[in-house]
Amino acid sequence: MLKSLTKSFLLLVLLFTTSFTFAQRNVSGVVTDAKTNEALIGANVLVKGTSIGTITDVDGAYSLSVPGADAVLVISYTGYSDQEITVGTQSTINVTLSEGAYLDEVVVIGYGIQKKSVVTGSIASLKTKDLENVPSARVEQALQGRVSGVTIAQNSGQPGSASTIRIRGITTFNDAGNSPLWVIDGVVVDAGGIGFLNQNDIESIEVLKDAASAAIYGTRAATGVILVTTKKGKEGKLNISYNGFAGSSSPAKVLKLLNASQYAAIMNERAVAGGGDPLFPNINLGVGTDWQKQIFNYGAKRYSHELSVSGGSGKSTFYVSAGIQDLEGIVTSDISKYNRKSIRLNSTHKLSSIFTFGQTLGYAHTKDSGIGSTDEYGGVLSSAINLDPTTPLVVTDPALANAAPYSSNPVIRDTNGNPYGISSLVGQEMRNPLAYVQTRLGNHNWADDFVGNAYLEAAITSNIKIRSTLGAKRAYWGNLGWTPVHYLSATSNTLQNSFGKSENKVFNWNIENTITFDKTFTDHHVTLLLGQGAYKENVGGSIGTTIFNLPVNSFEDASFNFDIPQTNRSTGTGDFIEHKLTSLFTRLNYNYKEKYLFTGIIRRDGSSRFGSNSRYGVFPSVSMGWVLSNEEFWDQNGLINSLKVRGGYGVVGNDAIRDFGYLSTVAGGVNYTVGNSGVITTGYSNTTLDNPDLRWEETSQTNIGFDAELFRNLTFTMDFFKKSTSGILRPIRIPGYVGVNQDPVGNVANMDNKGLEVELGYKKKIGDLNLNINGSMSYLKNEVTLITTDSSATFIPGGASFQSMGEVTRTAVGQSFNSFYGFQTNGIFQNLAEIDAYKSADGALIQPNALPGDFKWKDINGDGKITNDDRTFLGSNLPKIVYGITLNLDYKSFDMMIFAQGAAGNKIFQGLRRLDIGNANYQTEALSRWTGEGSSNTFPRLTSNDTNGNFSRMSDFYLEDGAYTRLKLVQLGYTMPASWSGKISSSKIRIYATAENLLTFTKYTGYDPEIGGGVFGIDKGYYPQARSFIVGAQVQF
Amino acid sequence: MKVIKLIIVVFTIFFTTTSCDKEFLDVSPKGQFLSENYYADQGQAFSALVGVYDVLRKNSGGFENMIAMMNAGSDDQFAGGGGASDGAGIQGFSNYTLNPVIMPESFWNDHYQGIFRANTILLKVPSTTMDESLKARYLAETKALRALYYFNLVRLFKNVPLLLDPLTATNMYEVTQSSPAAVYAQIEKDLNEAIANLPATVPLSTEAGRMTKGAAQAILGKALLYQNKGAQAAAVLAEVNGTPGGTSQYGYKLLGNFDDLWVASNKFHSENILECSHSSAGNSDWGWWGAGNDEGNTLNVMVGPRSYALTEGSLAPDLPSGWSFNVFTQDFYNVMKGDPRFHATIFDLKELSTLGQANYIGGYQNTGYFLNKFLPRRADVRTGGGALELNYRQNTPIIRLADTYLMEAEALGGTGPRAQALLDAVRNRAGLSSVPVSLAAIKAERRLELAGEGHRFFDLVRWGDAAAKLADRGFKSGKNEIFPIPVRELNGTKLVQNPGY
Repeated sequence: MLKSLTKSFLLLVLLFTTSFTFAQRNVSGVVTDAKTNEALIGANVLVKGTSIGTITDVDGAYSLSVPGADAVLVISYTGYSDQEITVGTQSTINVTLSEGAYLDEVVVIGYGIQKKSVVTGSIASLKTKDLENVPSARVEQALQGRVSGVTIAQNSGQPGSASTIRIRGITTFNDAGNSPLWVIDGVVVDAGGIGFLNQNDIESIEVLKDAASAAIYGTRAATGVILVTTKKGKEGKLNISYNGFAGSSSPAKVLKLLNASQYAAIMNERAVAGGGDPLFPNINLGVGTDWQKQIFNYGAKRYSHELSVSGGSGKSTFYVSAGIQDLEGIVTSDISKYNRKSIRLNSTHKLSSIFTFGQTLGYAHTKDSGIGSTDEYGGVLSSAINLDPTTPLVVTDPALANAAPYSSNPVIRDTNGNPYGISSLVGQEMRNPLAYVQTRLGNHNWADDFVGNAYLEAAITSNIKIRSTLGAKRAYWGNLGWTPVHYLSATSNTLQNSFGKSENKVFNWNIENTITFDKTFTDHHVTLLLGQGAYKENVGGSIGTTIFNLPVNSFEDASFNFDIPQTNRSTGTGDFIEHKLTSLFTRLNYNYKEKYLFTGIIRRDGSSRFGSNSRYGVFPSVSMGWVLSNEEFWDQNGLINSLKVRGGYGVVGNDAIRDFGYLSTVAGGVNYTVGNSGVITTGYSNTTLDNPDLRWEETSQTNIGFDAELFRNLTFTMDFFKKSTSGILRPIRIPGYVGVNQDPVGNVANMDNKGLEVELGYKKKIGDLNLNINGSMSYLKNEVTLITTDSSATFIPGGASFQSMGEVTRTAVGQSFNSFYGFQTNGIFQNLAEIDAYKSADGALIQPNALPGDFKWKDINGDGKITNDDRTFLGSNLPKIVYGITLNLDYKSFDMMIFAQGAAGNKIFQGLRRLDIGNANYQTEALSRWTGEGSSNTFPRLTSNDTNGNFSRMSDFYLEDGAYTRLKLVQLGYTMPASWSGKISSSKIRIYATAENLLTFTKYTGYDPEIGGGVFGIDKGYYPQARSFIVGAQVQF
Repeated sequence: MKVIKLIIVVFTIFFTTTSCDKEFLDVSPKGQFLSENYYADQGQAFSALVGVYDVLRKNSGGFENMIAMMNAGSDDQFAGGGGASDGAGIQGFSNYTLNPVIMPESFWNDHYQGIFRANTILLKVPSTTMDESLKARYLAETKALRALYYFNLVRLFKNVPLLLDPLTATNMYEVTQSSPAAVYAQIEKDLNEAIANLPATVPLSTEAGRMTKGAAQAILGKALLYQNKGAQAAAVLAEVNGTPGGTSQYGYKLLGNFDDLWVASNKFHSENILECSHSSAGNSDWGWWGAGNDEGNTLNVMVGPRSYALTEGSLAPDLPSGWSFNVFTQDFYNVMKGDPRFHATIFDLKELSTLGQANYIGGYQNTGYFLNKFLPRRADVRTGGGALELNYRQNTPIIRLADTYLMEAEALGGTGPRAQALLDAVRNRAGLSSVPVSLAAIKAERRLELAGEGHRFFDLVRWGDAAAKLADRGFKSGKNEIFPIPVRELNGTKLVQNPGY
């Protein structure tokens, strides 16, 4: 498949290149910067309407054959305004180009583009040049810290894992409903599905942040919209570009854990304090096993190769690319890998003077292996943190190795035949991570994604364009999993092997038809868009089969072709529930002399997820702008060169809720085993109560901002917003005595997000040095304003939970969504006198059972007892501030980029140690525990009998400051002189070295303060991000 | 201009067909039925009935199961588990700090789910087109199950709403609690109506586990006993028990060997009157643990020792590991020591460990005395899919004949030749000689015979002995006889919290 596609691409390339023609006359000249008179290297010189073109050399010179005197040269250079010159009789044409004004850029706004200078909404934009130097495996990561108002945290350091993205905070309560809408070349792709995209293929990414911009996507726009536009070919010379790099990754940080001797001493102390016997008669055990060292790879390899070819003749343009990315994870690399191969073909064809046809198509094959469980129940990291250092990695002592449990169980052995050590102290799911790796070899996930669209556009008059677009996504994904017979511990073992696979496929399509009317009436410019769309998603299903007790015992030998009896097969097959939308939308853009700007949008959507009483929603928005600097009265001083103020208001929706929330259905799954043969009989029951009045969740947003250019080289954008979500959809907690097994969905809560965003850009040329600084900063405050999940609720129970601790976050009115919730400590009782002095108003001891060394809990409600009612809100997991700064330096042939980003104002729940495993290892913080009066006021005594709940209660003890600043990227590049690159007919060769994730400044004691996921900032043994060093080369022809 | 016209026509068609076509937006709930169309035929009525049976699994399925919970609050066992906070509800019951917040809602909710499903059947199925005698049986089974669920609710919470029709969104907040007497009256009414239409026996291969006349009578007898209606209770239980030691009219008979009661493959034997049925065929997994389609026995893994491993050459039984819940107290060990039922009841890992036969990691409140009746067995580790921990298949007794023997003896006031015969039969099977019957003797026998089966706490409360026996656990008279009503049930409703909570 891949081969034949590549073949047809090559054929296509051949077709385009052969259509090049040769001409009669020669023209040459030099292209220079209008201000500095410096030569512009690599500027495009093209004969208009043809494919004849060239690029200027290192001296800015070009030479070109042109068809005749009426030929028009188009000279263009990134960042500069284009120039057109009719050749006439000249044979030498020297050209000077002026730097294009910053505000002349265009941005993609959904169903069209707009000059940035007349945009009235809040849209952040990233272009190719912002992306090309960032070696991210997934496109979301390239956005981090680069656009304001977007909070991004990686879900895991596992290569290829997705990131959690929140545009202007959390919009709704349901996790899936908080991801922004991704639209790739007009095709809606779910957030998880954007992994197929090759970052090198991206022309631009626009983030529609405010409702006034996003309203054009109506019902699905509440969480913001991210528009991705892939590259198109340009008329002119064939452009061939290669970018490749290779490098190595290592962990940026390891935890300090107790070594064997320290561990033994602490465990003895703990056991004795709890009234037991010491565990270790001898505590001089050396350093023991460093489990972290065993799982981390300090030389994890990664590489990437991307090749693209683009160009076009007068009628057609094309862009084709192919890329491969391969990454090894830093944790147990044998089972942590990612590989993606992708190809793309985009083309446009002018069929006649009226019709244009275009298409985009991207395909990617992804294969990745994950480390399996990444939580505290058996994750590799969790095991490495919690296992005792006294257990050997491999048992080499024959006396031990030939005794139970090693002798009597199918234990995993190393290449020498020695069994991997099994802890006799730390049980449950904690297992020797290296042995665990052996049980997961070969397991992997795979995905094939095809995303593309095709459109036909008719320019009926110079003012009216009709366009019909058909977009589609076809995705297949699945996994292959093998589990051998193994014995990792008494808890984690199996005597039957199993081999399972699952395959899913989904088809989404949409059709959109738009009419655009665009006309300038003297000083009035009007663009009117009318559109209609229909969307069908989630057409497909899944099948999965697992077979057990195969006659072989390795992944390589496992096959579904073995004749396995039906009793040893289990299958799971399901249909996806379709999701459909129909839409009508219109947008009016109007401006008067580019001074007074207006945009109005109305979109009406119908969604299959709602009941007939409220199936349709109408989403209006207006925004206005005033470009003060275009007014006659504006004094063209050197201080403020341009200034635009803008404001908007709009309403957008969210239908990312469960299907059939409005219906009471009768569903199976209330089964019982009837008869003595163990056969299960399926039972049916009403799942819930009807709620036909379920309505759209609505998010309204007000945005006020301005864009300014100061001192000719400083751009400054600022936005204030208030986003209010009302009628948040969520299950209503009805009384249990009603007796339904699912709570009905209702519109139950309201939430506000308020924020401030600043983007700064600074450009300066000092001699040969080009300096470019971009910074972004956002401040965000989230507050739940109403909850009515039942008639007297002020909070929603059951937020994030941690092991036996139960809930650690709570959502309540007046607090931010999922705030940390628990007890407050007030130091540690240093002696009995302090315990006796801690009394309620009536003289009773508040903590009568406490002992010196225990936490003093704050009696929040003042009732003289410490109960669950003394829990309180302990801070938010949402960063209040996120920021990023990029510094670009160019000096002659050298360039340098430094990018730092960070977050602040959030707390992290550090839950790395298992609560229910008494003998789990500790971090070295435990060495400064309370051991006697005055020894510690923050880390309580250690005892196996934690009657005061020092560790078992959720409290501020578990919370840490999550602020960090990360030097995310440092890149040094060198562009070879043209005399060298010319030898291989290359127009540009650049080599570079990049350090990724070089330094992180944080007080956080876990691996990594950047923790994504449904609830940010809960660390249960999180896969940390890698530190990488890579070298690469970019070559252009 | 032709082209323009064509485009306009195409456009118009699109606008009128897709956008305004409401049918486009209709999506059918694949794999589910709309409630207004359901309960139409015999097959659907039966599927709905299975939904009512589903709740029987509460006895030993899911983390929050009746046996593990009720054992934890008795004087014979601790909650145990991994740590002091391993299951706030079970720990809270064990040390009498339960409050409305940590009260596990499922003990309330699950029973009401069974009642809702039963009420829906009693509303809909009478008009279902199906065989009338079969319909009468289905309705009888439904009523018997509803009675059992109300019996559990009234014992656990005492003050509960008595709902006989499914609630709707409009009336669900109007509900109030009924008196326990009214609930008991309904239980008796439902059971008496059910008994008339239930079969005396059912074919084991296809219908084992379904309600029978004897099972309904046993529940009725028990419910009467709990209301101190001794004479009535004894009369009904005599129907179930027949001649002590013999085979009753429904075929009930004590098993000859006490150990055989706890063999997982020994399902629906002659001693079990009502059994909670489990299967390893459900491939149950963590994602839906405790939900309606989880058919595994969770009690098994809960009571297993943590990180159990045999030593070299050990002769101790090879057990899968568990979570160390429901360990017996030293006090109970001392009482049980020497009884022929000791080894079937207590797995003395303390001794095995001392002898170097097996290693394990002690859990919370560890005594080393594990509940052998329900220990997970190596032979019962599932083959097939799902989580190993969640697919044990051991059925658990809800009511067994030894229990009804002792209940009848108790209902008879603990005197008389029949009470003596009933007590003797239980002791005789255990291999013990006769002792003079008395209430004290019956109490002592129940404690040993039924240890770890979830009855002890209810027995202590019924006998009025709870305060004395459980004082050291923190039991307060007048409060801890019943659970607090979960806080969610009070939010916005007319329900009143139980006294003391």
